[in-house]
Amino acid sequence: MDMDLKYVGQTFPIHDAPQKVRGELVYASDLNLPKMLYAKLLLSPIAHGEIKSIDTSRAEALPGVIRVFTHLNTLNKTYSRYRIIPNQEFCTEDERLFTEKVRFVGDRVAAVVAISLEIATEALALILLDYEALPVLRTPEEALQDNHTKIHSEGNLIHQYEYELGEPTPLLNDCLVVGTTTHTQKVHHAALETHVCVADFDSSGKLTIWAACQGVFGVRTIVADLLELSYNNVRVIKMPMGGSFGGKQEAILEPITAFLALEVRRPVKLTLNRKESIIATMTRPATKTRIRTNVTRDGILKDCAVDTVLDAGAYATSSVDNAFAMSKKICKLYRIPYYKHQSKVVYTNTPVAGGARGWGAPEIMTALEVHMDAVAKMLKMDLVEFRLKNLVHPYDKDKASQLSLGNARVIECLEKGATTFGWSQRYNRNPDKGRFRRGVGVACAAHKNGMYGGFPEHSTMTLKMNEDGSFILNTGLHDLGCGTITSIKQITAEVLDINPSYISVLEADTEYGPYDFGTYGSRVTYICGACAYEVAKRVKEKLLECASRILQKPKQYLEVENGRVWIIGNEQQKISYREIATTSKLKDNTDIVITHTYHGTSNPGAYAVHFAEVEVDTKTGMVKVTDYLAVHDIGKAINPGMVEGQIQGGVQMGIGYALYEEVRIGSDGSVLNSSFTNYHVLNAPDMPTVKTLLIEQGGDDGPYGAKSVGEIAFVPVAAAVINAVNNALGTALSDMPLTPEKIIATAR
Amino acid sequence: MLIEFNVNGKDYNMDICPTMRLVDLLRGELGLTGTKEGCGEGECGSCTVIMNGKAVNSCLILAAQIRGQKILTIEALEKQGKMDRLQESFINNSAIQCGYCTPGMLMSAKALLMANSNPSEEEIKIAISGNLCRCTGYNKIVKAIKEATEEN
Repeated sequence: MDMDLKYVGQTFPIHDAPQKVRGELVYASDLNLPKMLYAKLLLSPIAHGEIKSIDTSRAEALPGVIRVFTHLNTLNKTYSRYRIIPNQEFCTEDERLFTEKVRFVGDRVAAVVAISLEIATEALALILLDYEALPVLRTPEEALQDNHTKIHSEGNLIHQYEYELGEPTPLLNDCLVVGTTTHTQKVHHAALETHVCVADFDSSGKLTIWAACQGVFGVRTIVADLLELSYNNVRVIKMPMGGSFGGKQEAILEPITAFLALEVRRPVKLTLNRKESIIATMTRPATKTRIRTNVTRDGILKDCAVDTVLDAGAYATSSVDNAFAMSKKICKLYRIPYYKHQSKVVYTNTPVAGGARGWGAPEIMTALEVHMDAVAKMLKMDLVEFRLKNLVHPYDKDKASQLSLGNARVIECLEKGATTFGWSQRYNRNPDKGRFRRGVGVACAAHKNGMYGGFPEHSTMTLKMNEDGSFILNTGLHDLGCGTITSIKQITAEVLDINPSYISVLEADTEYGPYDFGTYGSRVTYICGACAYEVAKRVKEKLLECASRILQKPKQYLEVENGRVWIIGNEQQKISYREIATTSKLKDNTDIVITHTYHGTSNPGAYAVHFAEVEVDTKTGMVKVTDYLAVHDIGKAINPGMVEGQIQGGVQMGIGYALYEEVRIGSDGSVLNSSFTNYHVLNAPDMPTVKTLLIEQGGDDGPYGAKSVGEIAFVPVAAAVINAVNNALGTALSDMPLTPEKIIATAR
Repeated sequence: MLIEFNVNGKDYNMDICPTMRLVDLLRGELGLTGTKEGCGEGECGSCTVIMNGKAVNSCLILAAQIRGQKILTIEALEKQGKMDRLQESFINNSAIQCGYCTPGMLMSAKALLMANSNPSEEEIKIAISGNLCRCTGYNKIVKAIKEATEEN
């Protein structure tokens, strides 16, 4: 690895920080177009039923209302909000713009388009609806048992499968069998900016969508196919956005907003309020996972059988792929000779589940790491020591993908982390007896770097040099607030050997920009970063060819530093990038511009080991996380300050996942906590100081050896916290979240 | 109804709808879109502005209530082309990710520093306890605010 780096490895603020601290950045929710209209959705108040009649006449008569839409005057066509590319597998097309049969509290029944949001809201209340209620299926168990009530005509089981890796081996008599069950709950992504979309259909026949999304090309595919427009006539522009965490990965508002704009032929803005965002967009899927392992008495895992039921909510969206993702994680973390996973993905009359930070990994890794504690305790073995016996080693083969796990440093993470945290002293201290009890927990986690091995994986970028020697990198990237643009700038600057301030990196736009799948799948740094690296290398070659013509010397005799080129040994006669770019245009008719498509050919593991200390108040059931250490196998931190921020943010979300956050469903299927007054998101006083330790050993195909961090940062948190609570109380809690009620019930 | 008020040092005399909220006045009427809305019920703090020296949620205040009052929004934090120390410190400490909570966070921090130029870390955490951030885990925000005070 090149140790002599100028920009990679330095901390830079996020690219648009100066605008953000001034309140100048225009987010999708700030967008205001001339003649813009406002839409408001009528969401179903019941969880399951048939609409018998809708009377919109009073709403339509309200002054300022432009039009009212329901299933009666809208195209009756199904689509999948999850589709990225046409003909993609497992994109169940079960959703319509407006439904005649409501399947959850929050299902879209109607929309009003009006000259103001106030009028649109007022008009909604004037729509008269008559329903015939159907039985409400709140859980996958209920949905699978009830043969008469079908949420969708095909039945309530969306998909089931069995998945086997390796060969069963004969078990010796001395093996222990350990079984655990973990329940993970639906949570709200809680991006601070709620879901919003603006669309316009102009007289030339072009539809433009200003989207706060994670993948403009997927949005374009869905909208264009639904509305039967050719792809060149649908332009999707990625807007600055106030967080996503997977909650804006799928096309939730874009199809409906586009349809409304097309119908009314004026720009339309659709903004959800917090309640609507909680109930009617996406949640993390709820899962119930049973794990059974066979382990030798000296602590070697022999096999692992996993059974998962995933609650998809009322529409399938990405849930089948989410379940597949869960099946592919455990063998990235532990050496297990035989692994078997059976999964069921089930419809319920509850909010729609879908993509969420970590995509199945937090769900399965929480279940797994709670299980590993149970196994180690059964063996009377130290929790760290037991894990060390079974963790994967660098360059092991991933059983699921048959690809190398790359320079998988999870053992190093665990060993160094245990020392830094003081694991053995803290774990082996005398347990507390009083009201306040301390405990420590550890959890390991594995995730991925992109989609190679299971999905197409490539990215395209165009890098052009301006006449003054500055550069514009055109990409299909989406910065969700994670610092993507900054790290891509750093990589490009490093290759070109020029200050990052001379490089602009453009975000995704289906009309003006090159193709990329989008910001998810932990693919951006590893795949898109590698694309930036490769395109910059090619531009540098071309730039040196031009310099070679100017200086009349072959390339290999040239030296480059800080935007200047000279002949080795003749430092006095430096020519600048500006001279090269301008002279090439003027004298050689040469434009320095390259378009490059990078396609991934590897998918190493990304690893993290987290350590938590908690203090449990056995009287109130409240848990405080008092200390936290996060160790990450990151390959190379491109921007260490932002990497640390990703990890600390992941811990904030993960503590909430372990202890507080849950979209709670009442007996009638409605969400009981549809606002921030009763959906608790950790605030500053709740948050411990999160120490980070980065293992930077490179060795894989990412730019400068970098691997992913944004998703893996969240994956081990809940398990580390739950294991710490169980250590404090001597319990085996695994029904998330560990609310005060559950803790008090156990502590008694 | 006709009201007089002052926003960011500028006097206004406006005819407003009595049910309009302050956040809508700022964003919709005055074009000050730096003030964000995240929940509409005073729980997330994205819409925090300073009213007569105190941090308030502009989604919970009716526009009519600012009659004769002085309001400061994020747009006023920079003075004569010079950023406030808090703004610089947020940038230097990587305390900004998606940035949607940033204006509200900065205004809560500013109100704190206006009242207490050298707050403890605990006082900082309490001052921003009404401002939710989903990206950063708060560690860097608290550090950024602390650094802006120590320089005082």
